[in-house]
Amino acid sequence: MTARLLILLARGWQLGPSLLLPPSCRYSPSCSAYAIEAIRRYGAARGGWLAAKRIARCHPWGGHGHDPVP
Amino acid sequence: MNNDNKNFVLFAVLAALILFGWPYIARTVFPVANPPVTKIEKGKQQPLPNPGADPTADSPAALRDRAQVLAESPRVRINTPTLQGSINLRGARIDDLVLTRYKESIAANSPPIRLLSPSGTRDAYFAGFGWRGVGGFAPPAADTVWQATGTELAPGRPVTLAASNATGQRFAIRIAVDANYMFTVTQTVSNGGGAAVPVAPYSFVNRSGVSKDPDSWTIHTGPMSAHNGGADYDLDFKDLDEAPATYTSKGGWYGFSDKYWLTAAIPDQAADVTAQFRGGANKSYQADYTVAPKSLAPGAALTTTARFFAGAKEVDLLDGYEDTLGITHFGKAIDWGWFEVIMKPIFQYLHWLFGVLGNFGVAIILLTFTVRLIMFPIAQRQFASMASMRAIQPKLKALQERYKDDKPRLQQEMMALYKTEKVNPLAGCAPTLLQIPIFYALYKVLMLTIEMRHQPFVAWIKDLSAPDPLTPVNLFGLLAFTPPAFIAIGVIPILLGISMYFQFKLNPAPMDDVQKQVFALMPWVLMFVMAPFAVGLQVYWITSNVLTILQQQWLYSKHPALKTAPAK
Repeated sequence: MTARLLILLARGWQLGPSLLLPPSCRYSPSCSAYAIEAIRRYGAARGGWLAAKRIARCHPWGGHGHDPVP
Repeated sequence: MNNDNKNFVLFAVLAALILFGWPYIARTVFPVANPPVTKIEKGKQQPLPNPGADPTADSPAALRDRAQVLAESPRVRINTPTLQGSINLRGARIDDLVLTRYKESIAANSPPIRLLSPSGTRDAYFAGFGWRGVGGFAPPAADTVWQATGTELAPGRPVTLAASNATGQRFAIRIAVDANYMFTVTQTVSNGGGAAVPVAPYSFVNRSGVSKDPDSWTIHTGPMSAHNGGADYDLDFKDLDEAPATYTSKGGWYGFSDKYWLTAAIPDQAADVTAQFRGGANKSYQADYTVAPKSLAPGAALTTTARFFAGAKEVDLLDGYEDTLGITHFGKAIDWGWFEVIMKPIFQYLHWLFGVLGNFGVAIILLTFTVRLIMFPIAQRQFASMASMRAIQPKLKALQERYKDDKPRLQQEMMALYKTEKVNPLAGCAPTLLQIPIFYALYKVLMLTIEMRHQPFVAWIKDLSAPDPLTPVNLFGLLAFTPPAFIAIGVIPILLGISMYFQFKLNPAPMDDVQKQVFALMPWVLMFVMAPFAVGLQVYWITSNVLTILQQQWLYSKHPALKTAPAK
């Protein structure tokens, strides 16, 4: 239930704000795609935590490049 | 291409849904702005009356009725720098109170906000103090006429009301008031009878009808309390129509919250109380608490202290009462919500700037400067990477053509291209996500705090928390018609649209045609979406856009190579 809600949130981001903002992804896959996959595979708690960590890495001094869900 | 068309249709449908569905979403989920304070008609700006501003009725008939009811019983005048009104000696009630520092509308001759009005008038709203009659004990009732020691209550000049009953108990209610909105009520029973009596002091707040400010997802209005160590925003008037709500707690406070006004019955914070919210006849609602009864021996006296708040929810004032009087969670009477941690500092900073500059609009502009300054290094890197992205745009497009059926391969090739061309990686999503709470916090500070109410900016903007009243749709009020709200785009929202248009233009051109169309349309869609919001929010956004454009121009002038990109 929570997992589905979180995935819905990420989908909402992809279809809404993300389309409008200038492209900003340092990583591939993008944070939202990463979040969706992580939550699908690990559930809301662990997947959500992985996604949160990914977003926290996603700033100008963070890493970049290919960074798939572990 | 087929897929692109499908996407564009999808976007168009979404945009239309947002445009036309927006007013409905705004109404039910969260309010966009305060009601307009002025109307521009025949080229002149007129203040609009705002009868919904105060919790009580203001029609001429209601005023006549109130004058009549007020004359029916003996009263003690209340006269402080912030309050005018009277205490009703029949029933020991505070039921006539006007907040002299706040006005209904921005008109010079606007009446002040009336908070309390006696029982028997329209929109009655009053508070009272007494003792419960338990086990045959008969304390003074609602129709008891009390004797007062003075004729006027003022800060430093308290008034004591006295009464006695047939079984030999004497009752005293000493009421003191400070220079703001807090009454301190000291209730004493002296047992002059021959037997012990159970003493259980109570106080209540009673109001007719629900709050005129809508209760929304973001701002709670209605029954409001703090009990058992937390503030409770969950109780609504319609819950009380179904069943009363009862709490047992130590201390706390119990009352009714409008957006800007609050009444609260506040027991001694160390006392064990039973509190109740309930709905009654004629759409009246009551919040009350009773202190756990104590047996009072003959010859003894028992004094309890309570407080009653009736006034405006000024941030520093409520926090001050929480600190100095130890009233639990009194500052939470303002429904800051989840984002309190960032809203409070933003509010305090804005308020401080306002104190220095004397204009909230200028304060908002300076707040924007500050936020941009903090974001400066991030934005600088973001622009640098955007500019280099722009430079390699043609190569990216070629890659896209080549690998359009193989997405993973395309991703790989793009990453490789970034590496060979030494493109700075993009800024990432964290900086963008970081700005959302700031924007939301400003929205809520504008909507929520009384400090922002009726604050002018410049020229025709008389209230930063209301939408822009000046619209070219009716030729700036020269034509005698009022356009429907959703096309009455004000001047400030139009400036917002224009600033967004130029800001979007400076971004790297999107790669596919659909996105390009979306980008071209977006400033104007957002202009319609933002138009009904508070002007203060639009001022923030415009300033932010202008600063972004300037920063980007400055960057281009420093690195002219970046601009002469799409050559190949």
